Amino acid sequence: MKDRVAAQMTVNGVPCERAVEPRLLLSDFLRYELGLTGTHVGCEHGVCGACTVLLDGEAVRSCLMFAIQADGHEVTTVEGLAPDGGGAGSESLHPLQAAFREAHALQCGFCTPGILMTLVPFLRDHPSPNEREIREALSGNLCRCTGYQNIVAAVKLACDAPPPPPPSPSLRR
Amino acid sequence: MRRNEDARLLTGRALFVDDVQVEGMLHVAFLRSQHAHACLRTVDVAAARRRPGVVAVYTAADLGDYWRPGPLLVPPPPIAGLVFNACTQLPLARDKVRHVGEPIAMVVAESRYLAEDALDDVMVDAEPLAAVVDVEAALAPGAPLVHDHLPSNVAAHVVQRKGDYGRARAGAHATIRRRFRYDRGASAAIENRAVAAQWDPRAEELTVWDTTQAPIPIRNGLASLLGLLESQVRVIAPFVGGGFGPKIMMFYPEELLVPWAALRLGRPVKWTEDRQENFYATTQERGQVHDAELAIARDGKILGVRDVFLHDTGAYDPYGLTVPINSQCTLLGPYDVPTYESEFTAVFTNKTIVTPVRGAGRQHGVFVMERLLDFAAAELGIDRAEIRRRNLLRPEQFPHNHEIIFQDSAPLVYDSGDYAPALDEALRIIGYERFVRDEQPRLRAAGRHVGIGVVCYVEGTGIGPYEGARVTVEPSGRVRVATGVGTQGQGHFTAFAQIVAEVLGVDVERVHVITGDTREFHWGTGTFASRGAVVAGSACHAAALAVRERILDVASRHLEAAKQDLELADGHVRVRGAPDSAVSLGELALKANPLRGAVRPGTEPGLEATAYFGPARGSTANGVHAAIVEVDPETALVEVRRYVVVHDSGRVINPLLVDGQIQGGVAHGIGNAFYEQLVYDENGQLLNASFMDYLLPTATDVPPVETAHRETPSPLNPLGVKGVGEAGAIPTGAAFAQAVEDALSDYGVEITEIPLSPNRLFELITQAGRGGAGGRPKR
Amino acid sequence: MIVEGTFTFQGPRETVWELLQNPDVLVKVLPGAKRLVRAGEDRFDGVMQVGVGPVTAAEFTVSVMLKDKVPPQYYAMEVDSKGTLGFTRGSARVALEVLADGGTLMKYTAELQVGGKIAGVGQRLLDQVAKLMTRQGLEALNKELRARLAGGSSR
Repeated sequence: MKDRVAAQMTVNGVPCERAVEPRLLLSDFLRYELGLTGTHVGCEHGVCGACTVLLDGEAVRSCLMFAIQADGHEVTTVEGLAPDGGGAGSESLHPLQAAFREAHALQCGFCTPGILMTLVPFLRDHPSPNEREIREALSGNLCRCTGYQNIVAAVKLACDAPPPPPPSPSLRR
Repeated sequence: MRRNEDARLLTGRALFVDDVQVEGMLHVAFLRSQHAHACLRTVDVAAARRRPGVVAVYTAADLGDYWRPGPLLVPPPPIAGLVFNACTQLPLARDKVRHVGEPIAMVVAESRYLAEDALDDVMVDAEPLAAVVDVEAALAPGAPLVHDHLPSNVAAHVVQRKGDYGRARAGAHATIRRRFRYDRGASAAIENRAVAAQWDPRAEELTVWDTTQAPIPIRNGLASLLGLLESQVRVIAPFVGGGFGPKIMMFYPEELLVPWAALRLGRPVKWTEDRQENFYATTQERGQVHDAELAIARDGKILGVRDVFLHDTGAYDPYGLTVPINSQCTLLGPYDVPTYESEFTAVFTNKTIVTPVRGAGRQHGVFVMERLLDFAAAELGIDRAEIRRRNLLRPEQFPHNHEIIFQDSAPLVYDSGDYAPALDEALRIIGYERFVRDEQPRLRAAGRHVGIGVVCYVEGTGIGPYEGARVTVEPSGRVRVATGVGTQGQGHFTAFAQIVAEVLGVDVERVHVITGDTREFHWGTGTFASRGAVVAGSACHAAALAVRERILDVASRHLEAAKQDLELADGHVRVRGAPDSAVSLGELALKANPLRGAVRPGTEPGLEATAYFGPARGSTANGVHAAIVEVDPETALVEVRRYVVVHDSGRVINPLLVDGQIQGGVAHGIGNAFYEQLVYDENGQLLNASFMDYLLPTATDVPPVETAHRETPSPLNPLGVKGVGEAGAIPTGAAFAQAVEDALSDYGVEITEIPLSPNRLFELITQAGRGGAGGRPKR
Repeated sequence: MIVEGTFTFQGPRETVWELLQNPDVLVKVLPGAKRLVRAGEDRFDGVMQVGVGPVTAAEFTVSVMLKDKVPPQYYAMEVDSKGTLGFTRGSARVALEVLADGGTLMKYTAELQVGGKIAGVGQRLLDQVAKLMTRQGLEALNKELRARLAGGSSR
């Protein structure tokens, strides 16, 4: 058995400490050590974005980090978004989660936690993005079900943006 | 309409298979073949077994009687003269490996990390053989054989005919003939496959969590293979992170071996595929080469089609002929095709197994037919939309028998449809006439390369055999619906709830749907062929109607009113015109299950009913896709400016869900058309086995899809619905090719292959233009 | 994969030939070589550590058979390497020509089949890595050659 080292961090506001192998990925640490299985792993090489969590408020790929690299940091996972973990009824959802539900922005829902965690800091820094900015912000997250269209709609809804004008047949750029 | 399942998914509470964590759980890693084709001489696992933390290592030799080829899932349909050589996949390779990624040994260890460490200890001595990669070369005399006991690499040969094509051709004004290629792609569900299993020695029950689209057949198969009663095996397909077809292949070696190891070791065992394994070990689709010919009259009327194609089935063919037969049948599209001659040869290659992936071969047929019509239109000087309109089946031609056999073994009969208005609506929405007349000339004059594509398709959906559902009104007044199909994001929790809620007069959110757990429901087949809403939805409807009858029986006695005077609404039964008479469904559920007293003879307790539905044959959805794209001939980058889908999937249960299916399907289709291609080298090595190199479309690549629905109900089910799950992905390649070709019309580029890529398109532009970098317009 | 090119050694052909046949020299100059021993008249066996792009370095067992030797001007090789990350098989041809300035021109061409993880994940970088490793090895060999000619080993 490899030597274990201590990893100490705050996850969703709760301090925690575990002795872990240095090679343990942060994604595996969150999922299997802490049981926070809302963080999903889709590619293990940093492309799909399903494993995105917040490290000190910024989006990171938890499959590209070792747990011990998060030592001393604050981690937020999808379980930490809704005030009470999204127990009963939509009142307890984070506004972005509520918008996703309203706009049918998820189908299988596997990529959704990573997309939410990507969007949270994006919307903090860009409170009223346009469609191009939203799509660019999403371009590091893969979704195979939705075609992204309703995800974009949900972001607009969350920003309380006015609905987009109907698509015009004109091609003037 | 909000989805019932979303709160769980959005907050991270939804259970996916890899989330299953049980005390004492062991973890599995598979040693897979590095060679596409090789003789296995020895597999030495002694060192791996000695590694600390390793609990067991298995090779084919350790499996004993459990080692046997997988089942043939879909026996070939009854077509005269059909040849089919069944060679199904093996749990662990024994004498030979036939594709890269084929499992050779299974390591079970205390953690996944340790299991993967131990893979390094396994020594495989393999003698590489020449690989069979290209489907044409595979059939050449002297080609290496994927399966040594067969005389050639032919997996199947099928000919289907309608009328006398030769005669039609002799009388044709013109024949259009081309070779078309459609290369391989990955399904690429974001969730990889996973299986976990736990044997409970006290209950003598095996629980298996599996990312399958077909939990019930998995349960039945496992019980039989493991010598257990079916009731001793519980298979749960919890939330599944995208299916798209490959998750209904069975049995994958892993889903056979993980439960076996859990029983043998007496400890819970889990395996989760990683992305690289997914590229090698999860089934794929799409490799076909077509030589097709269209015989056409001067007025653009189709006289007949002849198509000869090769279908790459990969190293094994457990899924029978579903994919090539879909290609064969879907080619006919919404058109009146008086004569048809279609011949295909399915070919074994040293590549990953081919089974249906969203579209399941239909897109190939659509691509061939639509491209032929485009070339015919150009040849005859007929507008592309017009040549289609002239050939569409008319409403009075339904039901329309194409006189060939479909994948469900039934004749290909279109149940209903109204095609011309769908075409007109798509043309109207995208502004076809104005674009072609005014806008395109203006844009061309300004040096821009903008083109339009309009294609039609018919999709066989909702095939049998059957599904079932049980509907129960609980004393709380909430309604439980259990059905056997698995769900992978389609919104079944909501769509089925809507069907039942409407019949019982309750709020949709009060209907709790359970899918994919064999303990809850154990009759049925699975989610495939765009059939969930059609077949399982109809079963839910039938069960709800039966429960409604029981509610009315109990209420009629309780309220002392005739059944026909009662109405169901807001979770209550009332006597019409007497609002105070209301009694809640929950109260009636209690009355239907008394604790004391006598009941009438023959009375069944509770407000519960189970019902089944099996359609006589599949229902046929149809639609039209129209796209406007802009191509930069210098870079060969393509931007999709507009994408319009007019779809007719019969009655729409939930437009939001249907739109979602179409939007996702179009994205998948655009990926297949322009980004996604599995590239194999001449030795059968997959060269882009990661998301770094295999490109899925991202949010910046996919356009918003403008959808419109038409509703021509299906006469084949009580809901009048048709399937929609694959519709978005089927005609996308054809629409994309036509629009790109139109955009580049001054270069004379002809597109006869999918997927394109910016690189490939650049080559085509350069070849066609015969110019320098980026080519040069012909004119 | 085909790797081919030329390289100019600053030393006489006989010495270059001699170095190319000496496993103790080759193990020093080949990038990632950890061990290389003569296992027969014309056969070397060894262990190399190689990584490609996103694939972390791992050990490969290597065996090289020399064939068709025409000292000091030509030889061919059969190369076979395997490890947990994949395998490489193929053949190479090496020709040495005397240059007017007393140097030696090497012309080499190798045809390699690459499989397993290094092919599936490292494909984009494989050509580059192969070329880079060849170049590094030849440069190190040239350095060794010059050190020898100057009267000692580079070590």
